[in-house]
Amino acid sequence: MNIIALVKQTPDTAQLSASMDGLKLSAEGGPRIVNPWDEYTLETAIQAREEHGGKVTALCLGPPEAAEALKTALAMGVDEAVLVSDPAMADGDSLTSARILVAAIRKIGAFDLIVGGRAAIDGNTAATAVQVAALLGVPLVSYVAELRNLDPSDRTLSAVRLLEKARETVTSRLPALITVVKEINEPRYPSLIGIRKAARANIPIWGCKDLSLDAAAVGAGASGVEWRTELPPVREAHIEMIDGGPEDAARTLVDRLMEEKVI
Amino acid sequence: MLSPYEKILFALLAAVSLYLASVTFRRMIGTIKRGQGRLAWDGLPGRLWTGVKALAGQNIMIRNRPLVSLAHTGIAWGFILYMAVNLVDVLEGLVTGFVFLEEGAAGQVYRLLVDLMTLAALAGMVALLIRRFIVKSTDLAVAPNVKLHPRAAGGIRRDSLIVGFFILGHVGFRLVGASFDIALHGPDPWQPVAALAAGLWSGLEPSVLTFGLHASWWIAIGLVLAFLPWFPFSKHAHLFMGPFNLMTAPGRTSPGALDALDFEDETIEQFGAGRITDLDRTHITDAFACIMCNRCQDACPAYATGKELSPAALEVNKRYHLRDHMNSLAAGGEDTEPLLGYTMSESALWACTACGACTEACPVGNEPLFDILAMRRNQVLMESAFPNELKGAFTGIERNGNPWQMAGDRMEWTESLDFKVPTVAEKPDYDVLFWVGCAGAFDPGARDTARAIATVLHRAGVDFAVLGNDESCTGDLARRAGNEYLFSIAAEGNIETLNAAGADQVGRKRIVTGCPHCLHTLGNEYGALGGRFEVLHHTQLIDELAKAGRLAMPGRDETRTTYHDPCYLGRHGGEYEAPRQALAAARPSLVEMARSRNRSFCCGAGGAQVWKEEEEGREAVSDNRFREARETGADTLAVGCPFCARMMNDANKRAGEPMRVRDIAEIVAESIRDDRE
Repeated sequence: MNIIALVKQTPDTAQLSASMDGLKLSAEGGPRIVNPWDEYTLETAIQAREEHGGKVTALCLGPPEAAEALKTALAMGVDEAVLVSDPAMADGDSLTSARILVAAIRKIGAFDLIVGGRAAIDGNTAATAVQVAALLGVPLVSYVAELRNLDPSDRTLSAVRLLEKARETVTSRLPALITVVKEINEPRYPSLIGIRKAARANIPIWGCKDLSLDAAAVGAGASGVEWRTELPPVREAHIEMIDGGPEDAARTLVDRLMEEKVI
Repeated sequence: MLSPYEKILFALLAAVSLYLASVTFRRMIGTIKRGQGRLAWDGLPGRLWTGVKALAGQNIMIRNRPLVSLAHTGIAWGFILYMAVNLVDVLEGLVTGFVFLEEGAAGQVYRLLVDLMTLAALAGMVALLIRRFIVKSTDLAVAPNVKLHPRAAGGIRRDSLIVGFFILGHVGFRLVGASFDIALHGPDPWQPVAALAAGLWSGLEPSVLTFGLHASWWIAIGLVLAFLPWFPFSKHAHLFMGPFNLMTAPGRTSPGALDALDFEDETIEQFGAGRITDLDRTHITDAFACIMCNRCQDACPAYATGKELSPAALEVNKRYHLRDHMNSLAAGGEDTEPLLGYTMSESALWACTACGACTEACPVGNEPLFDILAMRRNQVLMESAFPNELKGAFTGIERNGNPWQMAGDRMEWTESLDFKVPTVAEKPDYDVLFWVGCAGAFDPGARDTARAIATVLHRAGVDFAVLGNDESCTGDLARRAGNEYLFSIAAEGNIETLNAAGADQVGRKRIVTGCPHCLHTLGNEYGALGGRFEVLHHTQLIDELAKAGRLAMPGRDETRTTYHDPCYLGRHGGEYEAPRQALAAARPSLVEMARSRNRSFCCGAGGAQVWKEEEEGREAVSDNRFREARETGADTLAVGCPFCARMMNDANKRAGEPMRVRDIAEIVAESIRDDRE
């Protein structure tokens, strides 16, 4: 089975603190991590390979530093890793990213399954993987919480999708693209042997030329989306103390919450 | 004494026995040599003295189980004497006309000593046999939920019975022989026991008596010849392997200081212990030294609270596995059976609190703790198979420099103080570097302790500074959880930070920690990685300041207080007095728990336990310990570790808050405050 895992490197949002607000963290090159949702992506891909054999290729679009995220992927146990990186690709929207990823996937070759995370914690569009599936013309099964039946011989999969108020079981033909949520598994912690293997690995970097992409068709210039963000966001909050004994206070609290339509 | 035929027979049997013994002993040595590293032989005279002391002194044993230890001492001393006695008896048998020391005063003392020690050995052996086979002491049993080699329970009983009868036969027939000798050659007041027995033979013909004398000699000596090659297969090899193990003990900075792994050498492909041959030689020797007395099991907090772990069962299982594979191991064969599996269950492996009670309790110097941590290393570094909750703590150390995964400011705890706590950058000429620790920086309860320590230092006029946001987790939990790689990264970073802060100027600057785990890693373990610092625990510094009169504490608080020894300050740090004295400076009414000082019972947090769910068992380790604290009748439970504080606080809450749990620093700081008001 040929599996491609889409991985993004993101800022560590857990590191955001009062002294590091908003995007300032990424602008200053603060600590970067594998997009937490993609840890589940990698675990899903590796488990599928462990069960059915074949090969997992981790694919990442990002600046040269993003190779670190691929080292983590290799340490966890993917077989190969490819970094797509070109200054011309910077600051693109999800559609330009999807076009680049599709070009890279075609260069990697035939695949049975592509796995992605539900979203990346920085952009949080949850759109890139969807667009990749659309551009490739393969079925998309998003928000997968359980991969019930992956059958490479029958070329089908059956998956449980986690929806807002329901779980939906979907079957699809292969090749397909799935995006996963954290209920699907428990990502493994890389073993030292894995870390050493990853440290020795040679990660190819593909640019626009390697993918035969027109630099003008990617990156900020080709994007249809523009960001105008005020940072840090203005907070509107006030504190109200409720007096009285526990029962009265609780009653007042419930009334106030209902007034504010919180409950 | 012996006839020429007997002498020839003896020579033949002795040759066979010695040959077979050389084969089996070589096998045992070959098996030990399959382990990693080397046994420690540096400073041999000192080591020999250690062995002699251990053999003659029997000192570690007498601390626990006094009656059993007394019986054992009788047998042990009897046997030590019998090493000489056997030699004398063989010589007297072989050399016609030779009588050792003859009739002089020395001979009289020798005969009296042998006579009395024979009685002591017999009495001791009978007592131990009664204990094992008639009273069936539960101390010798292992709980059914603990993994035990299928042949071990029966095997240990059979082994003990064989050795019991060997000793009774060997020593007993030596006595019987002496009694025949007296019956033949007249009374000897210097052998009262043998003389008493000689009364049994009154009226027998001299020829019968002579036959009895010879038969007794043959049984007494023959049993030794028969038993000698069997030693490596019997747990009774402990009688020399025990002292040998103590003699060749690795020199450690503290009983729980682990050895670093070499991550630079690319040819190394195994980290930690996956197979028995991955263990250090000294830990294979442990299995041969183990007499299966279960003293470590008695002391183990995991076992006491019904977990699947017994350090004794670990050694027993190792020994039975080695016994089964001794031939092939000694011949260089590969052992493919995973160590975790036949030695213990996964739950047992992760139940260990790394408290060191097992190594402290062991009379023969075994270190079950090290096997457990070596297996954890294998699970984390090779298999990536460990309790899932630990992942968060590991990731926290990696990314945030603390296991809580907190991104906050490490100086926030100082904000509510009425004085400023300077950082090293602000006060480079500090005398004492206060290593706050992740708990002190982030845990709400431990922040109170950190503030109390800072307050005491401030009031005493100590020039101190903190590292602030340059401080990072020491890696203790990573190391105790088997993640040696993460520990080495954490340690290297901290050593660099501390050196840059000038804390390596030993003699001029000292580090004080608010946490015994930081104390242990910084003080006992960083040295092997190149970080040399003078580190002390906050209670040690408080004690020092109180003694120097720098803490005015006139208000004597008579609240009855008991003190819980943190494992990493006590057993691992060797400090029992300073915290008691620091506490006494503020509160003189100390009531001790039954298990205190080196026999202290863990709070349940150590060995990375606090970062995971406690393993299945009868009760929480913390509840067991808290009950004991409560039974003292004290109002306050004084602690010296943020993790003990947390465990005891939780247990206190579960029990309906009958006590107050406070760090010694808080108690001291409070009494200083009283003085000021």
